[in-house]
Amino acid sequence: MPLLNRFRRSLPARLGIWIVLFAAMIFIAALGYMFSVSWNTVRNEAESQASQKLHNTVLRVNDILDDVKISADNTDWLVYRHLDEPEYMFDLVRNVMLNNPILNGCSIAFEPFFFKEKGRYFSAYGYFEDGSVQVEQEGNEQYQYHYMDWYLQPKLLNQPCWTEPYIDVDVSDGTASTITSYCKPLTAQDGSFAGVLSVDISLSWLSETLSAVKPYPHSYCIMVGRGGAYLVHPDTTKLLSQTIFTDTLLEPNPEITALGKAMLRGEKGMKKLKVNGSNSYVFYEPEKETGWSVALVCPEKDIFGGFNRLRRTVIAIVLLGLLLMLFVCRRVINREMDPLRRLVRQADLISTGDFKEPLPDSGRSDEIGQLTQSFSNMQHSLVNYIDELKRTTASRERIEGELRIAREIQMAMVPRVFPPFPERSDIDLFAAMTPAKEVGGDLYDYFIQDEVLYFCIGDVSGKGIPGSLLMAVSRNLFRVVAKPGLAPDQIARQINETVAEDNEQMMFMTMFFGRIDLQTGRMDYCNCGHNPPVLIDGGKARFLDVKPNTPLGVDPQWAFEGESLADVRGQAFLFYTDGLNEAENPAHEQFGTGRMLDVLGGSAFRSAREAVRRMTDAVTAFVDGAEASDDLTLLCLKIRKS
Amino acid sequence: MRFARILTVLFASLAAAAAVTAQEPFVFSPQWTAQAQFAGYYAALEMGFYHEEGLDVRIVHPFHFQTPEQTLISGECDAATIQLMQAMELVDSGTPLVNILQTSMNNATVIVSRRGNPLERRGARVGTWKAGFNQIAFCLDKAERLNYNWVRVAANVNLFVQGAIDATLAMSYNEYNLLLQAGAEITEENVYRFRDHGYNIQDDGVYMTLAAYRRHKDRAERFARASRRGWEWVADHPREALALVMEYVSKNLVATNEVLQKLMLDEILDLQLDPDSGQRSFTLRPDMVRQASGMMLEAGLISRPVEYEELIPR
Repeated sequence: MPLLNRFRRSLPARLGIWIVLFAAMIFIAALGYMFSVSWNTVRNEAESQASQKLHNTVLRVNDILDDVKISADNTDWLVYRHLDEPEYMFDLVRNVMLNNPILNGCSIAFEPFFFKEKGRYFSAYGYFEDGSVQVEQEGNEQYQYHYMDWYLQPKLLNQPCWTEPYIDVDVSDGTASTITSYCKPLTAQDGSFAGVLSVDISLSWLSETLSAVKPYPHSYCIMVGRGGAYLVHPDTTKLLSQTIFTDTLLEPNPEITALGKAMLRGEKGMKKLKVNGSNSYVFYEPEKETGWSVALVCPEKDIFGGFNRLRRTVIAIVLLGLLLMLFVCRRVINREMDPLRRLVRQADLISTGDFKEPLPDSGRSDEIGQLTQSFSNMQHSLVNYIDELKRTTASRERIEGELRIAREIQMAMVPRVFPPFPERSDIDLFAAMTPAKEVGGDLYDYFIQDEVLYFCIGDVSGKGIPGSLLMAVSRNLFRVVAKPGLAPDQIARQINETVAEDNEQMMFMTMFFGRIDLQTGRMDYCNCGHNPPVLIDGGKARFLDVKPNTPLGVDPQWAFEGESLADVRGQAFLFYTDGLNEAENPAHEQFGTGRMLDVLGGSAFRSAREAVRRMTDAVTAFVDGAEASDDLTLLCLKIRKS
Repeated sequence: MRFARILTVLFASLAAAAAVTAQEPFVFSPQWTAQAQFAGYYAALEMGFYHEEGLDVRIVHPFHFQTPEQTLISGECDAATIQLMQAMELVDSGTPLVNILQTSMNNATVIVSRRGNPLERRGARVGTWKAGFNQIAFCLDKAERLNYNWVRVAANVNLFVQGAIDATLAMSYNEYNLLLQAGAEITEENVYRFRDHGYNIQDDGVYMTLAAYRRHKDRAERFARASRRGWEWVADHPREALALVMEYVSKNLVATNEVLQKLMLDEILDLQLDPDSGQRSFTLRPDMVRQASGMMLEAGLISRPVEYEELIPR
């Protein structure tokens, strides 16, 4: 496992392995194709070469056997001419032997009593002994040739034929040779069978001829007779004592049997099979004259010996090459990666906060050099950025501190002591303001002058410092402008003129101004583009139907229209900014006016504080932690009857 | 054909050797060249069973055109292996024989046809041995009116392979395997096994002329006893027996091989089991003699019934 982990962590190791694996795949594909094509080429070449050699050999054998056949064919007419001269047969076989030195023997054998004076056996037989031709009569009770294959076969088939080879043993010197005979039936003048003319040839030349056919170091030729007997075999103990089928009698071998049958059928071809435990290609072709069959056995390891050696060498070279490639790849990649590694170490140092640590100079212009340069640039940028960040952070901390102070100042601008008029039991008023940023753009205010309650609630366009400044200005303007005898629409008009004047920032604000005569309960009000307040009366909540007018600061000439309610005593109002109805939850759904009415109209509340708290709780639960996008200001007011 | 000249020389020398020492040694002649068919006698000789019986046994194989009955009648050998029906033919022709040991308990003769059922090939050219062993086939030929054209041959496998004959007689332990070894297609259809069709007549036994037996009854019994021991040893030691056989075939220049000899030995040992008892009894069965006599009479091979009592030692 440590090795695997090391492999996983080491880029050079991984890269090296991948390169070698890829190269190995290419090698396997290329070598596989090459070996396949080469193997087929070698096989086809071997097949062609072996078949040709075999064919030439069979032709040579055929030529020699043809000579033997011709010697008999050239003789039989003389036999027929002298069928009444038995003694001539001895001269004839002598001449045949002298004229055909390739022969091993020649006989002219006759049926019993064909020559009445010669009795049951008459066979003129000539053979070579000590370099000269010997002639004798060979038939007798110990050698009843009438029952021999060479005599019976042409007699029964009534046509010339070759006998299956047989072993001729010379007991005098213990030597043995394999003989075959070409036999022709002889016909008497009356058409009856008269005897057989046969010429013998030793097959020792056959072994020599076939042994010389050796296209591969361990290849060899065999020849089988029509009964499958081995006529030629490198293991001479098998000659004529075993056939190609002998070994299959005890242990069946379908491959050998199929080969033997094909050879006996006189077929020509090639079979791949196991011979003596090794895979071999056996090419076979019949000798047409005799019906025998010659086979050339070529061990596969011989045919593909050169190919296999080449393959082993190439595979060894490729394997060594791949190992060397792996080694070199790792070395090269390691060397190439060294600057990167130093870069990593330096980066580690930098990551600990040591930004001043100098980067190594690779002195290269390649990707790694560029990476080092980029890293160096990044380091410098990082150092500058961090310096800037430090400065900015310090500045931001200072501003944040100032904003905290500004918020405190802003919050101090609006009344925050409740109940605001503890000496008056007829006024129940509670307000709360929550800026979306450190300082907000919402405002509310109220005061009593000459038994008249003035109040306002507003929302400045934009938040933060600009909004808060306009809010502060507006609040002060309200305090300054709102005087007894001045209706809310007049207040709105005066403030609008002041705010709209020199309004280069194009800032504006919505506001709701109200004035309640505490004696009569009459409420005058002017809505300047603000949200309509909620009126709660008798446990039911609804939005007050108000004229929208326009926000302050937009049009200095706008003629704001005021409205009034005759007596609002016993009724409660909730004034709010759009931070309430437009408050969004994480799914970006707005709180909406419907929920507002539900909260306020669902059940009676005992005080303005409770109404504001209930609404605050409802909206807090609704937004579910989502960041507020707008300031939220609530003001609840209820005038009780004295 | 030079073979004939060599054989003549060889035979003459061996016959002379046997004649010179005829008084002392016990000359035994198997009916064929050296092979596993005679393994029991080789074993008795090599294991010293004959020696233990006080016998100096010489095993002399015949040559191609020499039959055991010829050597037996001529006195060239003291005992020879002869098939039961052949022995009965000899007895009928006036040569009294005594069966001193019966080794075969079943008939081994088969007819193999080049194609089709041999019994459906009437008038076919069928090879048979020049040396004999064909009485049971002649009986079948007569009984079934097959009218075979018998071709007497010295060796029949090559003629069969070359197509010179349509069918051939074969011994299940010898030629049958030679035909298989020559690639002949042999199926149940083209083989007729006499033992399976009511022709189960015992084959090989060891016979002596009655005269010789009377002269050397004691030696005959000792030879039979030791030969039986030899066969029992072979049955118990087939592997060692096969090695012995291979020594003999090599010594006698017989062109064969160990596979063939093993198959032959296995078959010979199987043929020695009595078809009823399954035991190796080494006795002539009166019922088989009776059956053989009847069949041969019907086929005209013998002129009178040959009785079991004529063949057993008296």
